[in-house]
Amino acid sequence: MNVSNLLKYCALSMAISAAIAPSAYAVTPDDQLVIGMSMDNLLSLDPASASGLDVVGVNSNLYDMLVELAPKDASQISPAVAKNWTISEDGTHITFQLRDDVTFHSGNKLTAQDVAWSLQRVLKLNLALASTWKTYGFSADNVEQAIQATDDYTLEITLPEKTDPKLILYTLGSSPSAFIIDKKEALKHEKNGDLAHAWLTTNVAGSGPFELKDWRAKDRVLMNRFDDYWRTPSEMKRIVMRHMTESQSLRLMLERGDIDVAMGMSIPDIEALKKDDDVRTEADIRGTLYYVAVSMKDPKFSNKKVREAVRYLIDYQGINDSIMPNYGVLHQRPVKLGLPATLPEPGYALNIEKAKTLLAEAGYPDGFKTSIRVLSQLPFINIATSVQSTLAQAGINAEIITGTGNQVYGAMRERNFEMLVGRGGGGIEPHPHSNLRSLVYNPDNSDEAKLTNFQGWRTAFYSPEINTLIETALLEKDAQKQIKMYQDVQNLYDTQIGAIFPISQMVDTVLLRTDVKHYEGHQAATTRLREVTKER
Amino acid sequence: MLTFHLSNSRIKRVLGGLSSVAITLLGLLALTFFIGRVMPIDPVLSVIGPDADNSTYEQVYQEMGLDKPIYVQYFYYLNDLAHGDFGNALLTGRPVIEDIARVFPATLELATVAIIFGIFIGIPLGVYAAVNKGRTVDHIIRVISLFGYSTPVFWVGMIGLIIFYAWLNVVGGSGRVDLAYDGFVDPVTGMLLIDSALAKDWDVFQSAIKHIILPAFILGLNAVSFITRMTRSFMLEQLSQEYILTAQVKGLPKHVVIWRHAFRNILVQLLTIITLSYGSLLEGAVLIETVFAWPGFGQYLTSSLLLGDMNAVVASVLLIGLIFISMNLLTDLLYQVFDPRTRK
Amino acid sequence: MITNSTMAPSATSKSASASMLMLLQTLAHGCKRIIRNPLTAAGLVVVMLLLIVAMFAPWIATHNPLAQELSNSLQAPSSEHWFGTDEFGRDIFSRLVYGSRITLYIITLVTVIVGPIGLAIGTISGYFGGVIDTIFMRITDIFISFPGLILALAFVAALGPGLEHAVIAIALTSWPPIARLARAETLQLRKADYIVAVQLQGASSTRIIFRHIVPMCLSSVIVRLTMNMAGIILTAAGLGFLGLGAQAPLPEWGAMISTGRSYMLENWWLVAAPGAAIMLVSLAFNLLGDGLRDLLDPRN
Repeated sequence: MNVSNLLKYCALSMAISAAIAPSAYAVTPDDQLVIGMSMDNLLSLDPASASGLDVVGVNSNLYDMLVELAPKDASQISPAVAKNWTISEDGTHITFQLRDDVTFHSGNKLTAQDVAWSLQRVLKLNLALASTWKTYGFSADNVEQAIQATDDYTLEITLPEKTDPKLILYTLGSSPSAFIIDKKEALKHEKNGDLAHAWLTTNVAGSGPFELKDWRAKDRVLMNRFDDYWRTPSEMKRIVMRHMTESQSLRLMLERGDIDVAMGMSIPDIEALKKDDDVRTEADIRGTLYYVAVSMKDPKFSNKKVREAVRYLIDYQGINDSIMPNYGVLHQRPVKLGLPATLPEPGYALNIEKAKTLLAEAGYPDGFKTSIRVLSQLPFINIATSVQSTLAQAGINAEIITGTGNQVYGAMRERNFEMLVGRGGGGIEPHPHSNLRSLVYNPDNSDEAKLTNFQGWRTAFYSPEINTLIETALLEKDAQKQIKMYQDVQNLYDTQIGAIFPISQMVDTVLLRTDVKHYEGHQAATTRLREVTKER
Repeated sequence: MLTFHLSNSRIKRVLGGLSSVAITLLGLLALTFFIGRVMPIDPVLSVIGPDADNSTYEQVYQEMGLDKPIYVQYFYYLNDLAHGDFGNALLTGRPVIEDIARVFPATLELATVAIIFGIFIGIPLGVYAAVNKGRTVDHIIRVISLFGYSTPVFWVGMIGLIIFYAWLNVVGGSGRVDLAYDGFVDPVTGMLLIDSALAKDWDVFQSAIKHIILPAFILGLNAVSFITRMTRSFMLEQLSQEYILTAQVKGLPKHVVIWRHAFRNILVQLLTIITLSYGSLLEGAVLIETVFAWPGFGQYLTSSLLLGDMNAVVASVLLIGLIFISMNLLTDLLYQVFDPRTRK
Repeated sequence: MITNSTMAPSATSKSASASMLMLLQTLAHGCKRIIRNPLTAAGLVVVMLLLIVAMFAPWIATHNPLAQELSNSLQAPSSEHWFGTDEFGRDIFSRLVYGSRITLYIITLVTVIVGPIGLAIGTISGYFGGVIDTIFMRITDIFISFPGLILALAFVAALGPGLEHAVIAIALTSWPPIARLARAETLQLRKADYIVAVQLQGASSTRIIFRHIVPMCLSSVIVRLTMNMAGIILTAAGLGFLGLGAQAPLPEWGAMISTGRSYMLENWWLVAAPGAAIMLVSLAFNLLGDGLRDLLDPRN
């Protein structure tokens, strides 16, 4: 085609495209699923270093795990690559029997060696996702003994420290580090003994229902169906995930049928789309909590009366009614909603007068000046704005300091903050320990300990009593007694007034075209798309 | 805002050769490098996430070389640069150079279509205004062109999306192409219009046109204004020349006088103006790409900045600096070669 | 804009104080001409209006710009709320009115920083020439070889988001054109007879620069600064839009657009009003600057 023809075509197609309605191709193809989502946190696909929930949603479709957790009740463990497993009498050994019909995208057979190598690799690389395993006592030094393939299809895990083995199973079914990597394929790309870290950051060597075709950071992820998948191959030939942060664009494209699934939309757009018959919403409760935290390194907040006053100065109801719909639901306990051990809500509420009295008793009758660090995103910034205005009513003058996730949590890790609005607290595993370890547990309160992964340490909340109770509860084998102990922890946290005030349990709201069927969002974010179909 | 500086020093610099360009680039490099190192954004946290423990933090901190003094880091960086290694981006895990090679064509494509709008709207407007100097049309065109300078492009972009995509549905939404076509055409040049034409995939081509037209037009507004105003002032200068009067007296038709004689004489000046505004479009691209989710250079730079991804930022900054400097040099050269008045 | 020809050397033979007088005369005379040109006059009127609104904001605003009323959020424009309310139920008209103070604050501060710095660097560089000139101009080149918004972005990223930091960042990126301009003027003045005469009388360089050269450059620098103001407004709004400028709950116009964006489809007034305000004010400064330039351009 020569240039003048090309120009003619340009002019012609501009004219045509302006003239005809584009409905001819506005709908997504029948055998493709198109997802619009934010990929701001999708920096690496390597199961050893990938942090954040976004990457779990991607990798769950490219890799397999030993076990899977049920979408709506994460405490139900079901077999995946592992056919079955046994836990030894003393709770220190877990033995997995693997399926023998699983192949990787490369054509290699999946064996227990691949599983062992994948898990050992997490600890040897010691990147983002090693933290969870380290809290169970695994380390780069002991992991080769602790996680072993005894034959091609048998994997044995020996727990280095006593813990609740259920917790390990939950982690294996939900952690982004639990994906099984094709050892042979990966090692072909090893450089300077990096266990293929550089290559796996942008490439995938998995056995999942889809193969990675192309990934461009903050742009898109393309997946094609893996036809030799050991389960029934997906009906979708292709999955397109597109980086879209603008709620407006997501909404327009969803209404128009340019995308099938939209994640991360803002409230007004979700509310508007709820009226649309072609769109349905799906809300999934996540393990993490939205909270207001204070630093007990600060003399003001180390005063229990001040903390209690702050607890009375948060408009829980108002925040949850006006700011949090579709982001979270009211929850004020450090253990997530829906677990057997979770206590009923304590009923904290805004009470300015009481707060003033408490502040006066604490020696701050006129309030004080402080600052609130917060992510410059919805809904964080709106929570902070609300807290700022209620604090002001009791004379506490709080300046809002916004920042990126890096800056806010970075300051928290360095214990360099007074107040903070954030989100966190583990909770991926459906076990009270997961939340408590992350939010409350703090075995060593010294600055030198640098237990930066514990929010208990970050806020300098230190209660030996609670620490001991958390430790013993974990090892308690009697389920009823264990539940009782976790409830005691929550009551103690209430009376001792911890440094973190939970406001809401996080909810992830996904919007879908109604012709998309069998999409099931997972509580642990491991949403698997292999069963999705379209009915038109 | 487009600015255009012509001075003796600039001309000297052209003659002075590339050494001063190198110094400028080196200064730019140092500036961005040190800005990056004092930034209160911790790149380690970008890598390991907010919940990793301290041993992981320390390990990655050292792997990234952050434990060394800044000047040592700068020296290492220069050393790598000398070997053609710009380092890897945190954001993508790939070499920065590859990243830039990938995202830059998207911006180049956008800027090119934008400048086409600038040329085909700006020049006729400018000539028309000059010919009708002082009349109402001239004033109207003047206001229109000042509007181009005064609009916040991100705002016009948002309003444009609502009107032309949401309400009228005559253009594509965000992104370079309808999502379902994403990845259909293998990148050759990286510019989707060209790639899809080469692949003769006309569905993709059509979709790409519908997606580029609005952001390119809005990005081009500033260029339209600049070109209009400059064309007007160049034309006015020509129209007051004696030879134009002579031509008019000779009874040549008006359009011949304007386009054949006067306009031909301002072509060189116009060319330099266009070159300059082409470089400046990069600036508007940062905002336009945010509004239209255009996966280009501007977005890459902004997101790298917010992550503290300094390898990516420094390389991007160098590239932009290089483009700006070479555009300016090119402008001066054009003058040197074509314009008799600047010849010595 | 070609800047090397903004000022002709027509005034070079007169003494500096006389030239100041002449500038004032030109301005006085110009006022008449400004009023005669309807576009420039319109620009002037809007700028004056901005000043008045900013000065009397508490009297003009109908509500407290920060007062939240969640039950009254996202109301369409009405007689109670002229431009409607935002997601916190705050009155948008009042926020716009108070926002004008922020806009003026940014413009003024940037201009006050940039003018003297640009003048000083430009005149010193032009007057002394040689090594000083080379060094200064190389630094200027580094800053100028870069789109303003991107450099401002980098500075704000380094300093952290916030209104003051945005002002510093914008100032850091907008002095070079002023310096260039002042230098070009100085180069023309340096060889002028009266400067040589003063030099022969033994006046110090500082005295010559500040008493004789700076005043001569002032008029063109002022025009240039006026024209810059529109650019400053747009850059500040762009930074606010990217979340790096003024922070909540300040009613900065760009930030208002940025937060209003989430509600744009149903509640167009959230972005329409501040966007129009930005456009109007920056258009006014452009019209005014354009008029001033014509006025001071000796070719007219």
